[in-house]
Amino acid sequence: MSVDERGVSAPAVRATARRILPPPVTGQELVLVGVIVVLWVLLGLFTPAFLSAGSIRPLLVSVAPIALIGVGMTFIIITAGIDVSVGGAIMLCAVVTAKSLVDFDLALPLAIALSIGLGLLLGLLNGVLIAYGRVHAIIITFGTANIFQFLALRVFGSSTVNGIPGTFDVFGRGEAGRTFGVPHSFLITIVIVAVAWWYLRHTSGGRNLFAIGGNAQAARLAGIAVQPRILAAYALTGALVGLAACFFIAAGTSTLDQAVGSGRELAVIAAVVIGGTSILGGRGSVIGTLLGAILVQTVTSGVTQLGWPSQLANLFVGVFIIIAVGTDLLRQRARKAS
Amino acid sequence: MSPENVTATEPALRLELQGIVKSYGGVRAIRHADFAVRPGTVHALVGENGAGKSTLIKIIAGAERADAGSIVFDGVASTIASTADAIKLGVQTVYQEPQLFPELSVAENVFVGRELKRGLRIDWTAQADHMHELLGTVGLPDRIATVPVGSLSIAEQQQVSIAKALAGEATVLILDEPSAILTDSEIDVLFAVIRRLTASGVAVIYISHRLDELFRIADVVTVMRDGRTITTEPIGELSVRQIAELMVGGVVSESRPAQGETAGEVVLELDALSGADTFRNVSLTVRSGEIVGLYGLVGSGAGDIASVVYGIDRASSGRMLLSGEPVSIHSASKARRLGIHLLPANRSAQGSFSFQSIAFNITAGELKLLSRLPGWVTRRRERDIAREFIDRLAVKTPSQSSPLSSMSGGNAQKVVLARQLVKRPRLLVLVEPTQGVDVGAKEEIHRIISRLADEGTAVLVVTSDLGEVLRISDRILVVRDGEITAEFRPDATQVEILAAASGAESDPTKESA
Amino acid sequence: MTATTEHPSPAAPAAPPEKGRGLFSRALEALLTQRVVLLVVLIVLLLVGMSILDAAGVLSGSFNADYLASALISAVPLAMLGLAQLMVILSGRGGIDLSVGSMVSLTGVVFGFAYGLWGWSLIAALVLAILVGGVCGAINGVLVAYIGFPPLIATLATYYAYRSLALVVSDQKPVNSPVIQDFYSAAQSVELPLIGGSLPLIPLGIFTFLIPTIVIVWLLLNKTTFGRRLYALGTNNVAATWSGINVKPNRMAVYIASGVISGLVAVVTVAQFASARPDAGTSGNGMALPSITIAVLGGVAITGGIGRVAGIVLSTLLIVWINASILLTLPGNDGTQFQLLALGVVLIFASLLNGLTRRKYGGI
Repeated sequence: MSVDERGVSAPAVRATARRILPPPVTGQELVLVGVIVVLWVLLGLFTPAFLSAGSIRPLLVSVAPIALIGVGMTFIIITAGIDVSVGGAIMLCAVVTAKSLVDFDLALPLAIALSIGLGLLLGLLNGVLIAYGRVHAIIITFGTANIFQFLALRVFGSSTVNGIPGTFDVFGRGEAGRTFGVPHSFLITIVIVAVAWWYLRHTSGGRNLFAIGGNAQAARLAGIAVQPRILAAYALTGALVGLAACFFIAAGTSTLDQAVGSGRELAVIAAVVIGGTSILGGRGSVIGTLLGAILVQTVTSGVTQLGWPSQLANLFVGVFIIIAVGTDLLRQRARKAS
Repeated sequence: MSPENVTATEPALRLELQGIVKSYGGVRAIRHADFAVRPGTVHALVGENGAGKSTLIKIIAGAERADAGSIVFDGVASTIASTADAIKLGVQTVYQEPQLFPELSVAENVFVGRELKRGLRIDWTAQADHMHELLGTVGLPDRIATVPVGSLSIAEQQQVSIAKALAGEATVLILDEPSAILTDSEIDVLFAVIRRLTASGVAVIYISHRLDELFRIADVVTVMRDGRTITTEPIGELSVRQIAELMVGGVVSESRPAQGETAGEVVLELDALSGADTFRNVSLTVRSGEIVGLYGLVGSGAGDIASVVYGIDRASSGRMLLSGEPVSIHSASKARRLGIHLLPANRSAQGSFSFQSIAFNITAGELKLLSRLPGWVTRRRERDIAREFIDRLAVKTPSQSSPLSSMSGGNAQKVVLARQLVKRPRLLVLVEPTQGVDVGAKEEIHRIISRLADEGTAVLVVTSDLGEVLRISDRILVVRDGEITAEFRPDATQVEILAAASGAESDPTKESA
Repeated sequence: MTATTEHPSPAAPAAPPEKGRGLFSRALEALLTQRVVLLVVLIVLLLVGMSILDAAGVLSGSFNADYLASALISAVPLAMLGLAQLMVILSGRGGIDLSVGSMVSLTGVVFGFAYGLWGWSLIAALVLAILVGGVCGAINGVLVAYIGFPPLIATLATYYAYRSLALVVSDQKPVNSPVIQDFYSAAQSVELPLIGGSLPLIPLGIFTFLIPTIVIVWLLLNKTTFGRRLYALGTNNVAATWSGINVKPNRMAVYIASGVISGLVAVVTVAQFASARPDAGTSGNGMALPSITIAVLGGVAITGGIGRVAGIVLSTLLIVWINASILLTLPGNDGTQFQLLALGVVLIFASLLNGLTRRKYGGI
């Protein structure tokens, strides 16, 4: 019968196409933007120095690696997985790359390729164990976190890598690392977030990740290759960790110490969760993750600039997680009740 | 699409299965099945619960692999090792439990796994275009395309599932009880869709418990019983009664000896009770020593009444009285304190502590009885209680410390039933007490229920099994679309009850055939 | 401790005896399905292997009973938090407690203040530590059981919050006083009365904290109706509800228990360091990761409902003695690094084994 009614005009179809598109941004993201704006205004009022370039730039530099890894973590959490090994992976990628820079004075492209390649390898290891070993992701990645840290410590030898050349300055240290005043690491992150946003919204590969996280059994019945897709999500995260490791090296002075990457896995997960991605899978957005990372780093930076004990920042991070996830839980409960 | 038409053209077989065998653990789900489907026909597959229908369609859909047997597709021997294989062959399945993604929109659900693409990206315009067609075909409004599936009604979800199946290039469409949760007008739409599909050469495998509707839609019917395909006939060769007899194996179900007026005082009384849009205005009584059968097809609301009585769900209005006292029950623990016990419908999801021991499973509902000191478990009491009920219910097990997961369906069901009997209930509610249970265990469970009633327990049996409700009830109440529509004595016929439950008067010409 | 292996716990599925199977295949099945058996075998292999290395003279110290006993000092916090994770993970629905390390830090600081600075008696300060731990755990419990937070998220949030509070309250400095320095004696090794002469010196914390905790948790899980309810709701939350179990208060209780045990561990840790460090439970990898590792290695299924006290005790012994052995084999910095490797490899090995067992034998 519908064939007979197909007198639908082309613009009308396009309008429908727009309507069946997943929404570009969610309510939670708009709320986050609001919260960040309010925070920046308040911080600007109380500590005028906050809104200066000298304060915003380091903020963006610190956001970049967290948001970048957050993109991969968002993919993973959308599939209802998790990766707590990224801290260890950052450490390993960073120390191997830094050592290579010192020992072999690698050219920039080669150094980046090395770091990303190594990260990819670590991600593949996680992915294979999780997708095909049928073991809960948190257990596997707790285990690999230890192994990555062990390997990193072996490479470190002594407690620091010293005399790292300025190969990575292009990522954000000094004038060479900025375009229009914005650090390159942040620009690269924005580009990757945009690509990931487009991929998740417009490609079947992206949409299928949501299906896998929403109902893995139904996804399998629908003919989606569940295991390879899960593997790919961990591999992607590994590669992004590799790139983020370059940012961490760039953000430091010419030394790299053993604290690099420590605890970052939780910071990344916090950013993802605050950004509205559901830890149970099936729902999430990379823009939310970027905003989550900005919020977390704003609080960290703001607390120090207000002269409060710097460790107070983590209390706010915890409270933000509870508010972000709690309002979502209450909203779902209200929707179910209606 | 008359039967003569089919025999006249005699098209080649689309799909042929021979000698299919399938076991789960030690349980034979399919002993021997032969099944062949022609293109452009609707092939009905009927059988009682546990006859092996679901397993057979899972094998065709690639969700399970047969232990033995051959599958020929369009004349070519094929292996269907996965759902992806089945989909490649054009087999699309609409499962009874919608396999959908609640967070995603209708449009996304329909195209998941087979997105229309232009280059790398999804071609949203083409999908919207196709979507408009599909929604029209299954009778859903266009605006529903963007709604998350999780917020739709079950009936709408089913229609989305069918649209999803149609979005693939279906050559074989399997519909597993599609009408169970649809209203009459929705069924009309469904049948229109099916006719359009068969006209274009699709083979439809149609599973249903509503025998009367088969005569409106099916061309051929295959009856399964106890894991075997018993017969395959053009629908015109059979009557409702004949199909029913083939399904139950010619065994005339004997009724429970009439209790007459021996039943005691009223234990449960529901007075105009309504649930949140699941059932309305339900009034009934259950007396001590009486077995009341609440018969309804899947989705009728009968099971929801049980959930409210047991305090799992809340009533929205009406009263519930226990031995004449109004009660408000808002948790299962409160219900149990008042002496209401319930055997849940879905054993694995609601009843089983699968990897715990049988003794654990039997005692889990009455932990207080294990204590000599409050809060402490006395192992000897646990052992004694477990042994007593393993004996009383004739549970076959080498040891009471075996895990429940090691047992057959019938024995596991007895264990979960035993949990409801450890402390003698005033009112025992049984929801689908013999679903997925072999014939022998079914007999035994029926005897246990009868004996309980004889000893004075008030029993409410909620079931969609026609033979069962006739066999064990003293009174039968029929639930349809959330309301009690009829009451029968146990001497009523299957056809009368089925007619009351499905709302469709059975065609008298078919009846006499 | 031996009592734990005597009775089959409700979580130990005993396979129906089958005749006509070889000794080998039955031994293999026991090894794979009974985690306790596997752990005992691994511990024996480790001890035998190390004794051979010791006899060959390649170790930097002597591998004897005294050494093994002294290594037990690190077993105290590890096993106690492993027991906390056991209860939380058992409760199912993704149960996990990432905040144990932060609770140790926070309650440790509070204990340090009360005992070291405010002049409270040891008992009063201990009770305060338990109370503070219990309140921290109750917050986790309310978030998880009553509001419906995924446990990973709830305890991630409180991990940040408690950790931050510990550092802020203490002004990021360890709490020190002569009283606390003297408290170090609580962590010393002692000779047992009566038979102690023939035994090695054993760290006092084993008797004052670890063994009581093991006994209480074992009793709770195996001898009380609470234990039954816990296994029931961890195995199948819906079936537990339909069996008339009030799942919310029972689920909340395990998070409180986890907080209480963290409070006790905090006191142990203060004794060991002879100061109340605000990062005691969170520095480096913190305490959450090792305690979860202990639980998984001990055979606790991350999906809930399966796990035994004996598994936790044995997996702790295995890890502690592996670490001690590594220190003898590879002295210095190398040793501590290889401990990380051992922890990671053993964890992945154990979890892959869980998966394999599930496929081969059904259940764990």
